[in-house]
Amino acid sequence: MTAKRSERLLDSLTYIALTVCALIFLLPILWIVRTSFTTKAIAYQIPPKWFITPTLDNYRDIFTDNPFGKYFMNSMVVSLVSTVIAVFLGAMAAYWIARRVKGGNFLRIAILGTQMLPPIVMVIPIFMMIKKLNLLDSWVALIATYLSFSLPYMIWLLMGFFEAIPKDLDEACEIDGCTKMQAFTKVVLPLAAPGIMAAGILSFLMAWNEFLFALVLTGTGARTLPVAIANMETQQGVMIAQLCAATVIIILPVVVLSLFIQKYLVNGMTMGSVK
Amino acid sequence: MLSVKRKQFLIFIVPSLLVLAVTVLYPLVYSFIMSFTSSSLKVRGFGDFVGLDNYIKAFKDAYFIKSGWTTGLFTVIVVTLEFVFGLSVALMLNRIKRGKKLFFTIIIVPMLITPVAVGLIWRLLLHPDLGIVNYLLGVVGLEGQAWLGDAKLAMMTVVLIDIWHQVPFMILLLLAGLVSLPGEPYEAATIDGASRLQTFWNVTLPLMKETIIVAVLFRVITAIKTYDLIYVLTKGGPGTTTEVISYHIYKQAYTFLNTGYSSAMSYLLLLVIMLLSVVFVRLGRGKAQAR
Repeated sequence: MTAKRSERLLDSLTYIALTVCALIFLLPILWIVRTSFTTKAIAYQIPPKWFITPTLDNYRDIFTDNPFGKYFMNSMVVSLVSTVIAVFLGAMAAYWIARRVKGGNFLRIAILGTQMLPPIVMVIPIFMMIKKLNLLDSWVALIATYLSFSLPYMIWLLMGFFEAIPKDLDEACEIDGCTKMQAFTKVVLPLAAPGIMAAGILSFLMAWNEFLFALVLTGTGARTLPVAIANMETQQGVMIAQLCAATVIIILPVVVLSLFIQKYLVNGMTMGSVK
Repeated sequence: MLSVKRKQFLIFIVPSLLVLAVTVLYPLVYSFIMSFTSSSLKVRGFGDFVGLDNYIKAFKDAYFIKSGWTTGLFTVIVVTLEFVFGLSVALMLNRIKRGKKLFFTIIIVPMLITPVAVGLIWRLLLHPDLGIVNYLLGVVGLEGQAWLGDAKLAMMTVVLIDIWHQVPFMILLLLAGLVSLPGEPYEAATIDGASRLQTFWNVTLPLMKETIIVAVLFRVITAIKTYDLIYVLTKGGPGTTTEVISYHIYKQAYTFLNTGYSSAMSYLLLLVIMLLSVVFVRLGRGKAQAR
């Protein structure tokens, strides 16, 4: 009887603690969302006005005063293209490594090693290379640079997925007369589709959120959103309401994406790290 | 000796190897060579070969050493607190049955936000005059602080913000480990009459050992690399109180243009990260054998 009661008490405490946690994570974001819908004057008001009539002015402003549309486009193109290339090349490489134990081991360690490289080690030589090639401030430069982390990451994640698929399946296909490529595209890829989806989303997130390379390698032409919002503040003093709107724009796609693919996302992250 | 089939199979790996050779290997070698030269953005080409001078300079450079300590301190505090907090939340999430998905969905959100946005969000909230945090403190009768401008508080503030951003990752990994634990040891513990705390110490923790090591290693490595958050929050200041190693190297390269020296420092950072990884891997193995 008492055991049951203490159990129930513990349950209530757990729910209270979790609610507090959830609020700590959620409230700062909600406050930013709220401020992004206020007028400029209200955004500065302390004590804050709790009930506001929402306005879309800030969102309109950042797209007209700033070339924010262009930066959004840059982020989208660079993230999408680098992800597509990484998925395409990474899937093939991961399949090769997963199916060939011999000689694959060194590659496995090397690929895991790339995940430990601090970006600061890479950014200086990459900057000099890109400068020499006259490609500073271009999409190509960013896409190629992002492959340096997203391709190994993709290979690492997908190796696990491919290893989980029984070898017999693609071997059976080859015995029936298909080539390696056919066995890969017709048998293995469809089976690994959820994993590839998860890995692709993670790679997109990494590129979308990347800052250091974009900061160093771009000017105003190929600038991505993280660099754009970091600059907004220094350029125009503290334009609170607009800054909030810009922040919402940068996190919205990521959060929406995560809601749709939560199951895959969790699989991908735990696969990549625990294995 | 290669059969036709194996040759065809090479098509799978060769494109990736080429891309990695250009985007990873070449820059690494380039910067390694650069670390032995007086290379600078002010002059063309590599500059002169100076042997180990850059490395020796780094060990005598008080600012570099200090940024190393700052990074170490930041990493230890952040990872320890994130581990304790993350494990508590993971245990709680593992316990409840209703609402688990909702809590989980909310809790992982900060992790997905780019560090730049995280920094900006908190700068606005913590603004000494215009921020909501100081206002709310005022409401309950506490004095507001210059959270990021005060040399005594800046580091603590950065640590707390980093925890807000990164603890979801710890929760995610540890929860994944908890969910996949086998049920039998717990049944045995209940039969033996073990208390809740005993079960946690003697069953949960040992079974979670590998997950914990991986999660901690992962966070240690990312914490040592921290750069974006510092750039947005404090730019290393006030003074150099929050100047972590990555930011210090960045400053050397792009403010003082010393690319040779920066490369040497970044290789030292890389060396430390590699050593730490080896230690953790050994740790993981040693414990597994002892069990």
